[in-house]
Amino acid sequence: MSKRAIEVEHLAKRYVIGGVKEIGYKTLRDTLVAPFRAKRAPVAREEIWALHDVSFTAMPGEVIGIIGRNGAGKSTLLKILSRITEPSRGVARLYGRVGSLLEVGTGFHPELTGRENIFLNGAILGMPRAEIARKLDEIVAFAEVEQFLDTPVKRYSSGMYVRLAFAVAAHLETDILVVDEVLAVGDASFQRKCLNKMEDIGQHGRTILFVSHNLASITRLCNRALLIEAGRVARDADAHEVVRHYLHSDLGTTAAREWLEGPGAPGNDIARLRAVRVRSGGEIVQKVDIRRPVDVEMEWEALRPGHVLVPNMHFHNEEGLVVFISSDLDPKWRSRPREVGRYVSTIHVPGNFLSEGTMIVGAAVSTMDPVHVHFYERDAVAFEVVDVLAGDTARGDYGGPIPGAVRPLLPWTNEFTPREVQEGAGRVR
Amino acid sequence: MTESVEERPLIEIAPSSGWRALDLAELFQFRELLGVLVWRDVKVRYRQTLLGVIWVVAQPLLTMLIFTVLFNRVAKIQAGGNVPYALFVMAALVPWTFFSTAVSAASNSLIGSAHLISKVYFPRMIVPASSVAGGLVDMAVTLAIVLVMCAWYGTPLSPMLLLLPLVAVVTTFFAFGCGLWLSALNVEYRDIRVVVPFLLQIWMYLTPVAYPASVLPAKFRFLVDLNPMTGLIEAFRGSILSTPVPWGAVAYSVACTAVIVVTGAFYFRRVERQFADVL
Repeated sequence: MSKRAIEVEHLAKRYVIGGVKEIGYKTLRDTLVAPFRAKRAPVAREEIWALHDVSFTAMPGEVIGIIGRNGAGKSTLLKILSRITEPSRGVARLYGRVGSLLEVGTGFHPELTGRENIFLNGAILGMPRAEIARKLDEIVAFAEVEQFLDTPVKRYSSGMYVRLAFAVAAHLETDILVVDEVLAVGDASFQRKCLNKMEDIGQHGRTILFVSHNLASITRLCNRALLIEAGRVARDADAHEVVRHYLHSDLGTTAAREWLEGPGAPGNDIARLRAVRVRSGGEIVQKVDIRRPVDVEMEWEALRPGHVLVPNMHFHNEEGLVVFISSDLDPKWRSRPREVGRYVSTIHVPGNFLSEGTMIVGAAVSTMDPVHVHFYERDAVAFEVVDVLAGDTARGDYGGPIPGAVRPLLPWTNEFTPREVQEGAGRVR
Repeated sequence: MTESVEERPLIEIAPSSGWRALDLAELFQFRELLGVLVWRDVKVRYRQTLLGVIWVVAQPLLTMLIFTVLFNRVAKIQAGGNVPYALFVMAALVPWTFFSTAVSAASNSLIGSAHLISKVYFPRMIVPASSVAGGLVDMAVTLAIVLVMCAWYGTPLSPMLLLLPLVAVVTTFFAFGCGLWLSALNVEYRDIRVVVPFLLQIWMYLTPVAYPASVLPAKFRFLVDLNPMTGLIEAFRGSILSTPVPWGAVAYSVACTAVIVVTGAFYFRRVERQFADVL
């Protein structure tokens, strides 16, 4: 069947700011009084094109990732496709029932019980009541909240709340599903479960559009990806290729990232991330020779005394596979409350260990007992590991692609027995 | 697989301009959501606190007491016929309280549901509609009090009572029409929120709630006659207390309701496309 599921043609969205007032709304008084006012110089009405010209098509069953920097227009595109806001130009045609998840738990009411919220949220997402009733058990089991089904959700832990909210959404049966960054919530194992559930949905011939900053989940879930830059589709290709292109689109910035002073940086009032840098031989580098050690340093601040804070880094590859996770075991600070101040915590990764390709590093600071993540910047930095084919790496003299999450150069030994001895030994026996 | 492709509905998203069709089919399709939102509001109001219920009952009862003292005892206004004044006022306060609560709730409803509107698509009219419909439960509760009062005063009910559901339906639609206008205006002009309570208060005094229209001097009668709520309040009271119903005024109210609902719906449709951007 070559019937398309989504056709988007030259979609554009303009926002007008300025004009009468800076804010979106006016007051009746302004409008009524305006004709009686002396004519003022008209305030320039500034137009912002959040989306310039976006076109693409999707076939049933395709899972398409949408990536791009903040402000590139991803969310505007999703809002138009979910019919929350109208485009200023262009057309989008969606064939089939459309579900959109721009948030988990939209409309949840804290006073209502888990069961009641399932029905409420389901109805808001467009599920018929009969369908919700039919899937209730499945949803409850998925969310793992059986015992608390008749408890008001205001008494839920935040984890339970998110699980319940996502469980409803994950059971939405539509031909097209538009998903914004909703997986950024919940614990890791539940995230995994949600990703699997979404993969299931894709395999049932449903089309999924999936916006995420989590490049690993894009490459894992999507066969195709769109890179949105400045309101336009900058690239539309195989997900791996687009992610690779995105990571290299501005060289230098992916190997080092810094956050401005203030609360915009990842973190809370206990620990805050300031910078993450990839270094080899002291220099900030984008490309690392596979034979050379590489250091990834994170600069962060402890803002409150008395907390045991453990920096940790998560290395994953383009496929989204977590290659390894490593926590700071520096005996100077291990199990000791950190003093308020600025820390630079560096992980030293040996040479001849990582595999060729892009490594994406997430940086986090957590307290381990009880577990509390102060921040986790998932795709903080990325760098490229290159094998120069010099013959002294784990590759040896082989020139083709080598699979594997790591590529350590390991010692080998051989024991040799000459043929004659072998035969002689056989005869004796 | 093949047949499902054929029956897939097509949703076309394109810029629209000017006046738009009402799309009643879509509204019908989303009727379950309307029901769920009403159910949520009612459930939360009646579960949350005993106070919620007490408030629903206390508001018209206290107003009735104040009116009885002020208008009846102090200003010596009589209900006419042999209807007790307290009952006369209460029978009008039930629909009036419903109307005024519904209109003020509806006018703030879009702003109150901004988080829904910016995250999920559904016909936006459902939001003010659910605010209005949510008030019907309160009206049923207060109506029960009026019926208890009728029994207390020994006022007999007549077959006129059959008229009551019809009047309630028209009042609901009239409140919905006003709610459509005010909620949509409120998104664009945020000071509507300040004006509405004041407007409703003046409106009540221009409606024969606390007095029979007959006590007004002839030169002020036009104020009450022009008011679409007059016919509805009189009809509501008449259906319970068998007081005379001014049928002309009722016909005028029905006509006004039709006009305000239709114009309100078109105006709402015209401006609703900006809601998500402005809210």
